[in-house]
Amino acid sequence: MRVSHQNAGILLITPSVFLICALLVYPVLYGVWLSFFKKHSFFPEQKFVGLANYLYLLKDSEFWMSLWYGTFYSVSTIVLQIIIGVIAALILNEAFRGRNFVRGVVLFPYMIPTVVAIILWKWLLNNHFGLVNYLLLAAGIIEDPLSWMGKDHIMTSLVMISVWEFFPFVVLSVLARLQTIPLVLYEAAKVDGAGAWSRFIHVTLPQLRNVLFVVILLRSIWMFTKFDTVWLLTQGGGAEKYIRTLPVFAYMRTFTYYQAGLGSTLAVIMFGILIASTTVYFKMFRREENI
Amino acid sequence: MNRKKRYKVIIGSICLFLLILGGTSLAAQKVINVWHTETNPLSRKAVANIVARFEKLHPDIKVEAEAVAWGDLEMKINAALAAGSPPELSHGQPITCAALQAKGLLLPLDEVVKSIGEDNIWDQIKKVGKFGDHYFGLVHAAGTSLLVYRKDLAKKKGLKNPKTWKDLLHNAKELTMDTNGDGKIDIYGVTIPGTNLFINILIGELTKANGGILFDDQNRPQFTAKPMIEILEFLKELTKYLPPGWEGHGYMETFANMSGEKAAMMYQGYGRGASLIEKYAPKHMANTDYFDVWVKPHGPSGTKPAAQVDEEPWMLFKGSKNPKEAIEFLKFFYQDDNYLEYIQTVPIHFFPVTKSLRRSKAYQETPMIKRWKGWLDVQERYLENDLVKPTLVIDWKDMATKPYLMEILGSGILKDMVMEVTKENVSPRKAAAKAQKRAEELVKDKGYAKW
Amino acid sequence: MKPRNAFLSLRGQAIYWCAAILLIFTAFPFFWMVSTSFKSLREIFVYPPYFLPKDFTLANFARLFEQTRFLIYFKNSMFVSTLTVVFTMAIATAGAYSLTRFRFYGREKIASLILFTYMFAPIMIIIPFYVLIKKIGIANTHLALIMAYTAFCLPFSLWLLRTFFQSIPLVLEEAALVDGATRFRAIIHVILPLALPGIIATAIFTFILAWNDYIFVRILITSDKLKTLSVGIADLYNATVIDWGMIMSGGMLITIPVLVFFIFIQRYLIAGWGTGAVKG
Repeated sequence: MRVSHQNAGILLITPSVFLICALLVYPVLYGVWLSFFKKHSFFPEQKFVGLANYLYLLKDSEFWMSLWYGTFYSVSTIVLQIIIGVIAALILNEAFRGRNFVRGVVLFPYMIPTVVAIILWKWLLNNHFGLVNYLLLAAGIIEDPLSWMGKDHIMTSLVMISVWEFFPFVVLSVLARLQTIPLVLYEAAKVDGAGAWSRFIHVTLPQLRNVLFVVILLRSIWMFTKFDTVWLLTQGGGAEKYIRTLPVFAYMRTFTYYQAGLGSTLAVIMFGILIASTTVYFKMFRREENI
Repeated sequence: MNRKKRYKVIIGSICLFLLILGGTSLAAQKVINVWHTETNPLSRKAVANIVARFEKLHPDIKVEAEAVAWGDLEMKINAALAAGSPPELSHGQPITCAALQAKGLLLPLDEVVKSIGEDNIWDQIKKVGKFGDHYFGLVHAAGTSLLVYRKDLAKKKGLKNPKTWKDLLHNAKELTMDTNGDGKIDIYGVTIPGTNLFINILIGELTKANGGILFDDQNRPQFTAKPMIEILEFLKELTKYLPPGWEGHGYMETFANMSGEKAAMMYQGYGRGASLIEKYAPKHMANTDYFDVWVKPHGPSGTKPAAQVDEEPWMLFKGSKNPKEAIEFLKFFYQDDNYLEYIQTVPIHFFPVTKSLRRSKAYQETPMIKRWKGWLDVQERYLENDLVKPTLVIDWKDMATKPYLMEILGSGILKDMVMEVTKENVSPRKAAAKAQKRAEELVKDKGYAKW
Repeated sequence: MKPRNAFLSLRGQAIYWCAAILLIFTAFPFFWMVSTSFKSLREIFVYPPYFLPKDFTLANFARLFEQTRFLIYFKNSMFVSTLTVVFTMAIATAGAYSLTRFRFYGREKIASLILFTYMFAPIMIIIPFYVLIKKIGIANTHLALIMAYTAFCLPFSLWLLRTFFQSIPLVLEEAALVDGATRFRAIIHVILPLALPGIIATAIFTFILAWNDYIFVRILITSDKLKTLSVGIADLYNATVIDWGMIMSGGMLITIPVLVFFIFIQRYLIAGWGTGAVKG
């Protein structure tokens, strides 16, 4: 195919670039600019302080705690989402009665508004009236009702809810890709005597490579910057401290401590961490100019 | 269609879109934006009705009333101020009002107060919004925090209204029981919410009840002083009688605990609890024979009870487009028949700010008010005797002289201190010292440190 | 893929078990929500909890419709989400096609850059975004929401579509062009059918992002008439006198139509499969 007119290509990509630059890039730039100022969130006055905000955070124990919680949260949820998601996609790729129904239902956690999911789960995990404790007690798995929203278990609850909420995303992406893998490849492998597991490793996984690369990358970015799910679980309530991830901390600095400059600084730091990790990720896993 | 044309069509459509939307905002009516925090359907309906009647009388004014969830209100005000387009009217916390007023971001509401009648408003209520000679905030309705208890269980155990914290702990101990003999506790003595806001409210109450102060005249925190240490020790004792996982309980869970018979006392109940009890508790228990109110006790270093009052003032923002029209709306809002409709949506919690309404027959005859009279009487007693203050305010002068209370609340310093003592076994002195340091830093950072 | 007779093989049984576990894992909160929405308020706080309401009632739904503007919120959510999907798909398809089929200066740069926009936590973008929207003059409109969601969905959509387009060999388009089709028709008749799973998947993601969003609606919208479901339900949850029955019934009504729609539409995820054009 001849290399077509540059213009056509540019034209088709222009609306995308325009929208992204205007609505996303500009606010980001503003955020970066603001991180060099000390600004009260309500009042218009601001003072240039250079790197003072960054230095302050590096010495702040709350920051390091948030960094730890944020990283722990992201990594555990991503790993679980990918594993459960891929397994689910494989199952849903098989033919069985009721498959369409199950496929639709599996999407359910992802499609309800986060707010509804949190309300539902908080109610299920309520230590006195919740169904989860009741079932666990009835099955004899625990002796006393567990405090799911208390400081010992709240991170577990959060991870569980987050995985439940977002794993369908992985399922969808992987399933869509599984559907386009040519049957021929499997047939050829079977002819070569490969068993089910071997077919998975040598045919399926390589074909999923590209999709997984993107999915892992995106889910990582999104879980690292996730705010809604984490915040809505406690809304600043008692055990909030133990799930205070970086995005929540940034929110608190801006909207509850009223230190907008520090909030932006945190966002920039998160940004930096993501860029660094992504660069490493690309170096390690990116092959071919496809991506 | 060739490319160039397609391009033009796309651009043209976008422009047309924007024009249409721009055009609609050029309507001839004056729009006033009113933000309030009562998101429950009945209150919204009441506000909508009041708005409809007002618009009928003033056809050139349109009122956009929006109910904003409590927690989101600050974020919205923030965004609005940043964009330079604040709403005309909004609810807010008293300390938020104090902070905004100190920065000159509010307009006075004196005209509204005059129209209602200055003597028609309870003194306590007026103090919330008065700064100097002007009123920058006008409370929409008051509701004090209440010590709700299970009257039937207290009767059985022969318990009386606790006068001191020691009494309260005794009652809590008695009320923590194993009711079905299986060796596990089925009902706990007390329930309190573990959220940041409520812990702050609690500390404010306990400080006043223990004769202490949070900040001195130089704005220096007093967390390491004796009254606060006693508070922390009291709370440490109290947690023995709280249901496990209490720190994860929000405001709603504490009500669920009461109506679901998991707790026998509720230190931070509010009038709206009566509505919740009527909705969720077993039918035969939804009355004051089972759920009644005690007057709060005072601490070892204090002499009088103290409670917090939930009284969000209306604030009028400088820089909003139509403040004059907003003032007209507020005047209309407080007229007895309009105000009554609003108050009746959450009758036990919404204590009217006007004496005229409180004394009016229509109000007194409201069925729910008759049913839960005891709860209202305690609230009126608190208000009349000036035993209640807004969140974190110890003395009235704090409103004008301590505008940083808003930031203290948001910082969670007090909540962290309580959690350290009650959940992490840190000694009260150590936790208090840490909180002291953090608070001193914050006050200094905001420029209010005078020591 | 021919459906196998699952009862004969061990593998088939294993698959059924796994599918059942999957179903329970994802759906049991949903069933609890359904069960609660039909219970009377007093039954909700009972311990031990039970599934089937003893006092089956539709009162919660009645209250939901009488006391709240649920139907309006639903309509708004539908409107905003659907339009977001339309805009995003149009713009993203064009863009992804451009990134895979054309070479022009800056192509690689753009491809990498789109990823970076996701790295700045959305919660921090909200204030400057609001200021910008206010300046353009479209605050408190659905257009603002649609534009916000489109902007947020574009990077991901571009990525995913690009992956799918890349897996479609150029040969096919060339064949179509040789046969006399214009590029545009080549796209419609050759590319789109084969990339359909990817397009459906992208459309679903876009829809859900718009459907679920809370923060942007909260900040950008002030009129009650324009609110969407997430904010509407959240307000019920934060109300001074919380009504669990109403919230659960609202949650149920939010989910069922979309659920039914997805059970129906997910079939098309395999539409491209049957053509066999990708063999070899």
